[in-house]
Amino acid sequence: MLARRNAITGYSLLAPSLFGLICFLVFPVLIVLWLSFQQWDLISPARFVGLDNYRSVLSDPVFANSLMVTAVFVLIVIPIQTVLGLLVASWLTRGLPGSLVLRTIYVLPWICAPLALGVVWKWIFAPTDGALNAILGIRVEWLTNLDLALPAVCAVVIWTNVGYITLFFMAGLLNIPEHVIEAAAIDGASPFTTFWRVKLPLLRPTMFFVLVTSVISTFQIFDQVYALTGGGPQHRTDVIAARIYFEAFQTFDMGRAAVMAVVLLVILVGITLAQQLYFGRRTTYDLSS
Amino acid sequence: MTSAPETVVALPAKPRRARSAGRTRTPAIVTAGIYLGLLVGAAVTLGPFLLSAMTAFKTPEQFAREDPLALPDPWSLTNMVSLITGPADFGRAIGVTLLMAVFVTVFQVSFSVLAGYAFARVDFPGREAMFWIYLSTLMVPAVVVVIPLYLMMVELGLRNTFWGLVLPFTFASPYAIFLLREYFRGIPQDVIDASRLDGANTLDTLVEVVVPMSKPIIATLVLITMVSQWNSFMWPLVVTSGSQWRVITVATASLQSQYNGNWTLVMSATTLALVPLILLFLLFQKQIVRSIAITGFR
Repeated sequence: MLARRNAITGYSLLAPSLFGLICFLVFPVLIVLWLSFQQWDLISPARFVGLDNYRSVLSDPVFANSLMVTAVFVLIVIPIQTVLGLLVASWLTRGLPGSLVLRTIYVLPWICAPLALGVVWKWIFAPTDGALNAILGIRVEWLTNLDLALPAVCAVVIWTNVGYITLFFMAGLLNIPEHVIEAAAIDGASPFTTFWRVKLPLLRPTMFFVLVTSVISTFQIFDQVYALTGGGPQHRTDVIAARIYFEAFQTFDMGRAAVMAVVLLVILVGITLAQQLYFGRRTTYDLSS
Repeated sequence: MTSAPETVVALPAKPRRARSAGRTRTPAIVTAGIYLGLLVGAAVTLGPFLLSAMTAFKTPEQFAREDPLALPDPWSLTNMVSLITGPADFGRAIGVTLLMAVFVTVFQVSFSVLAGYAFARVDFPGREAMFWIYLSTLMVPAVVVVIPLYLMMVELGLRNTFWGLVLPFTFASPYAIFLLREYFRGIPQDVIDASRLDGANTLDTLVEVVVPMSKPIIATLVLITMVSQWNSFMWPLVVTSGSQWRVITVATASLQSQYNGNWTLVMSATTLALVPLILLFLLFQKQIVRSIAITGFR
């Protein structure tokens, strides 16, 4: 009797969210899988084409380029923003006056619309009347130069994320027990040694969290790229999310776009599962040591 | 999937004093160096905001004539006024964005509260399996479901409508449900039992006892959801067209491509898109910073 009442109560409470999850997350994933075997331009009816889309996408140099660009993007952004975040966090946790205000300033870009910030930076990078060239007194085509466009987009994303990364490292650093640091100091460890041999190992859980969440979000970057370069010049900043968007909503090749979405889904689920396995192991290790 | 939030530690409202300040005194030169580093960082962080706002208040004539770094002279509201009242209709875009953000926040948080409570406090058959399914949906990236969601909205005749804009986000967020479940599990069973003994049913208990006790986490979720909705771009870009249901980010992007090079106007648009959030941030600075630390999400 009670079990039945609990079942009714439980599922009634879940009803709205379950409806939303099934309709707007689970069902769409199934549609993407179905779409990846269809040829469809939204005008003529969809047609089953077997693995044609997979063959076409996986042998497409433009898509290979997108994977490459995304990988390079992740490999530039993640190390730089992590090191900068760690550095700023170690500075802001010294109890210096003004730390609180500075922390607020550093977080500001993170809460702002990435699209609007992208547009702001597009002006800053503008060759003739932009702020950066005016400050540096040079004339560089930051966003249309083949070699500079991707680093410029990376710089904007790093600029946006550093404050957010800093917050987590601040929390991690402040969580290290005081006696551990004191013990290191008594043993004659220099601040440098203390940082490398004591603090950094203790920050490992924070480091994992920061790395995993930022790798996953960096893989999906879209707004800033859309605003700054639109994937150009010559596909040099054509990250996966932008490629999927253009394939679906400018070329209207739904089948190919769906294949790209499936590839991205596989990559991100792979990263998440790998981090689960690795993290599970590490946590056990931490407890035993 | 459960490991991520566990690694997040509470962020003290105020950085503690340096632990070793008394013992191993930091040399003044090091402190000065750190301040210099921090101030340069702060200037780089704030610079783009200040420069774009400055440009927004210049007349196009002054911008064309003088150095891009010159202060506005005179301070002009022409750009702002023409954006809000002119054909770009930013007044409407701000209204639509606000409506979308409030609508999604109210329903998403409410429905998430219901589900979070069910997972935390109702012992129904299949609970663990359901929770696992909920958590696994966290892995689905937004860009993957954009295409099918668009096709669904087209089929339902909801493309370029308010419902098309909000429906996918109205019913709950798995992440919010996860956080609420954790919080609700911390509420003592006695409190809930006492309410039940007074004859309250589950919904009464939830609304009258549990929700008032969970104000901090609910406030956190409200702030985070408002911010992320105000900032959202890809879905509105895909599902709307024309000015009727255009949100502020989409309006800014389309203005940018339409008036490429008309930077005083474009910077007015970004200023209008950014200022409400900056104000919200300054008002609720502590809560928002803490929210990010708790949720790890925008």
